Amino acid sequence: MPSVHLRHVCVDFPIYQGSSRSLKKILISGTTKGNLARDAFDRVNVRALSDVSFDVENGERFGIIGPNGAGKTTLLKVLAGIYKPTQGRVSISGRAMALINASVGLNPDATGRENIILRGMYMDIHPRAMRRHVDAVAEFTELDNYLDMPVRTYSSGMMVRLAFAISTCIRPEILVLDEWLAAGDAQFLAKAQKRMEEFVSGSSIVILASHSLDLVRQWCRRAIYLRQGVALAIGPVEDVIASYAAAL
Amino acid sequence: MSTNSSLEYAFAPSTVAGAEAALLPAPSRVAEALSDLLSGFSRAWMWSALAYQDIRLRYRGSLLGPFWITLTNLIMLAAMGTIYAALFKMETSTYIPFLMTGLLVWQFLSTTVNEGCFTFSAAQDVIQQVPLPFSIQAYRTVYRNLIVLAHNAVIIPFGLILFRIPVTWHVLEIFPALLVLCVNGLWISLLLGTVSARFRDVPPIVANAVQVVFFITPIFWPIDAVGDWKRLLALSPVYAAIDVVRTPLLGQAISPHSWPILLVCTAVGAAFGLGFFVRFRERIAYWI
Repeated sequence: MPSVHLRHVCVDFPIYQGSSRSLKKILISGTTKGNLARDAFDRVNVRALSDVSFDVENGERFGIIGPNGAGKTTLLKVLAGIYKPTQGRVSISGRAMALINASVGLNPDATGRENIILRGMYMDIHPRAMRRHVDAVAEFTELDNYLDMPVRTYSSGMMVRLAFAISTCIRPEILVLDEWLAAGDAQFLAKAQKRMEEFVSGSSIVILASHSLDLVRQWCRRAIYLRQGVALAIGPVEDVIASYAAAL
Repeated sequence: MSTNSSLEYAFAPSTVAGAEAALLPAPSRVAEALSDLLSGFSRAWMWSALAYQDIRLRYRGSLLGPFWITLTNLIMLAAMGTIYAALFKMETSTYIPFLMTGLLVWQFLSTTVNEGCFTFSAAQDVIQQVPLPFSIQAYRTVYRNLIVLAHNAVIIPFGLILFRIPVTWHVLEIFPALLVLCVNGLWISLLLGTVSARFRDVPPIVANAVQVVFFITPIFWPIDAVGDWKRLLALSPVYAAIDVVRTPLLGQAISPHSWPILLVCTAVGAAFGLGFFVRFRERIAYWI
């Protein structure tokens, strides 16, 4: 049974501003104490998430809302297992599939069809197993002859179609989505929504980050409202959206 | 509290106290790093495919493809072989096989070290988007260089026949030797890949060091040419690494120091590289 538990999660990004990333600075500062040392180690830590705790249980659709820079994508990356929190605990049971960037693992010089196999590899799916899904993916994208063209020639909307179709060809237990889906056109979005509805009606968790309140309202039962890395509200989606709207 | 469906405000951390029971115990850093290495290794299909893809991309659209590696090597051998044989007053029939086998190992070592620096930073977009074992990138680096080595090695049998080097059963000794070199490539990729992700000056420093090592190690010149320095240079782990592959190919006996030196350096290096990986593995995603 997939489930997600976060406890007091903090994520700090060290900013190695230009020069402080250099080994030379650190070596020199070791020998010349004083101002230089302070300059060289003048590290800024950006706290992207601060003491975030919540649980998502099986079959739930969970939304993440907040303004730009609220920490939505960082939270998605924590959920996907990419960032290990600097403090706090994350416990995720179930295979998580993160759709954070449409173009990851797509080789621009390879054709759409070749990329289905390539991208499958990054999803931990053996090429042999992935080959069985190629036709289903091709059909979902509706890209037809473009699938035999290099991905370099695709528009960003076409790229999104391909990436979404590949990433959802095998039902993930936990699907983590960022807002890039919006690059697809209305017809594609409707199709994508239908596919995700099928997911959550089975045993899956869908976690969606967006600043489109309508999308979150339509999609999620519960939500978290993040602002500057702090969870200002967690609970039923209407209540969370209300507190977000009140803060605007 | 997990069934609480009313609005939960998380201003105070205490709102979720008592729910710790839902969490599994956190695995230790050592356990996580070891499972990273093992689950990475078990995905051989993935890192081998990624390594092949790297090579294909490098030579995309070129006529010879990866056999450019072979041709480049052949031209280098012809040029260096004739001039340096004269310089060291050696027969070309002795010097060229010596140079050919020495360069074969050296090119594997030097490119593995140089590319090892980019083990993680070159895979930045993937590491930032997909949770895969980090070690996959290190296996990929080593395997990619093994593929290059195979392309370089194509000329070796021809060279040995052309210069009438007797082939003995000792040739089989190159296989354990290459395995040990790969283990070294692995810890070097993990170590330099991690350090270079944090400190961006490391790759050029390493490239400089590699260049210096090439000239001070008996690779393209015979170790006997340096007189008393020979005793010191024979202790070099790089020389040992080259010796354990080169001398069996040339049908000669490996220097008695070579295996002990190489194995000790491998053990120490692997322990150090592993310790470093255990300590900093989870920071890599933040650094790149």
